[in-house]
Amino acid sequence: MSLVMLELTSEKNWEKLGKHILKFENDVVKLRQTIRHYAKQFRMGIVDQTRVTTAVSELFRNMYNYAGGGEVVIEKGIIEGKEALIITCIDSGPGIEDLELAMSDGYSTGMGMGYGLPGAKRLVDRFEIESKVNEGTIVRIMKWR
Amino acid sequence: MSKTQNNEKLEIRIDHIEDTLASVAAGDMDARINSEIEDDLSGIEAAIDLLIDDLTDELKQREKMQKEVEEKLSKIQEQQKTIVQQQEDLLELSSPVSKVWDNVLILPVIGTLDSQRTQIMMENLLEKIVETGCTIAILDITGVPTVDTQVANHLLKTVTSARLLGAECIISGISPAIAQTIVHLGIDLSSVKTKSTLQDAMIFAMKQNIRSENIKLQTLFDNPNENEE
Ligand SMILES: Nc1ncnc2c1ncn2[C@@H]1O[C@H](COP(=O)(O)OP(=O)(O)O)[C@@H](O)[C@H]1O
Ligand SMILES: [Mg+2]
Repeated sequence: MSLVMLELTSEKNWEKLGKHILKFENDVVKLRQTIRHYAKQFRMGIVDQTRVTTAVSELFRNMYNYAGGGEVVIEKGIIEGKEALIITCIDSGPGIEDLELAMSDGYSTGMGMGYGLPGAKRLVDRFEIESKVNEGTIVRIMKWR
Repeated sequence: MSKTQNNEKLEIRIDHIEDTLASVAAGDMDARINSEIEDDLSGIEAAIDLLIDDLTDELKQREKMQKEVEEKLSKIQEQQKTIVQQQEDLLELSSPVSKVWDNVLILPVIGTLDSQRTQIMMENLLEKIVETGCTIAILDITGVPTVDTQVANHLLKTVTSARLLGAECIISGISPAIAQTIVHLGIDLSSVKTKSTLQDAMIFAMKQNIRSENIKLQTLFDNPNENEE
């Protein structure tokens, strides 16, 4: 998926903390641990650490399951006057045809429970998703400290 | 010395050089010209001998290197085998089902639940339920750092399968942070008996056990003849 879309919401003054490739199932676990590490560094409490780690776990698994992997960008920035951890998942997979449907509880085209996307949204402070069929999907989540 | 005689001697020496080179080419690295005559040709002869020396050294070195590489490779392969074995052992280890009382199984789940591990864990538990006839199984997830929808789904499936085999599962070790997260994800665990600690789960299981024993005793009192044989 083109990064042009990303530019729409990306602000120049964000500090990039890392960029990782997610390819294997093992990467889901590794990258999840990386996010937990940043959440800790951010001095988030255990509940917020768990929330953001679980949210990215959903996004990582989706990338692995439906798009054959993708890229994860970790940033920090000031959002609405609060310091935020910003995680962006970019893939060049099949894309999502009906975003509204995909964001609804219990909808799954696979063997999942269909709570990944809507659940992740409830776990974070801000959730953005864009997708184009045959191009890919970008999901960005933000969690304030 | 006549010119023909001289030519003959030269021919012999050239033949010898050719023979030596042929021997070297065939792999005999001990072959040398070793000429004892001092003349114009002897310089070339000596140079060829030196070249053969160099070649021999180089071949020996290469052989040594190849051997080293092979040794290292086999060592790495050995290590790989051990790692794979250890991973498999770990998979087994990380789902050690044990029977704590007559009727109760405990499965402490440790680490990350990827699809492979969950599969093995579930199979182990179900096998053990059939094997022991236990009717209560405690799944302790204290050691699981992240419960996302996939893990929850696997847990729910395990509970349902166990139920089909006649065993009730209790899930213990859900931390407050994980409990909140599960609720936000939107997953409904209300059909599953949960306890916050393994200890709570064990006490619950024990009480359950005593109750079913009592029911057994009760039926014995109610129908004394039925069990007389
Ligand atoms: N990165 C992605 N690429 C393509 N399709 C996706 C992606 N993420 C989610 N989807 C689609 O959205 C649906 C809902 O996702 P989710 O809420 O995580 O539920 P589940 O993964 O359990 O199916 C998926 O079944 C899939 O069809
Ligand atoms: Mg999902």
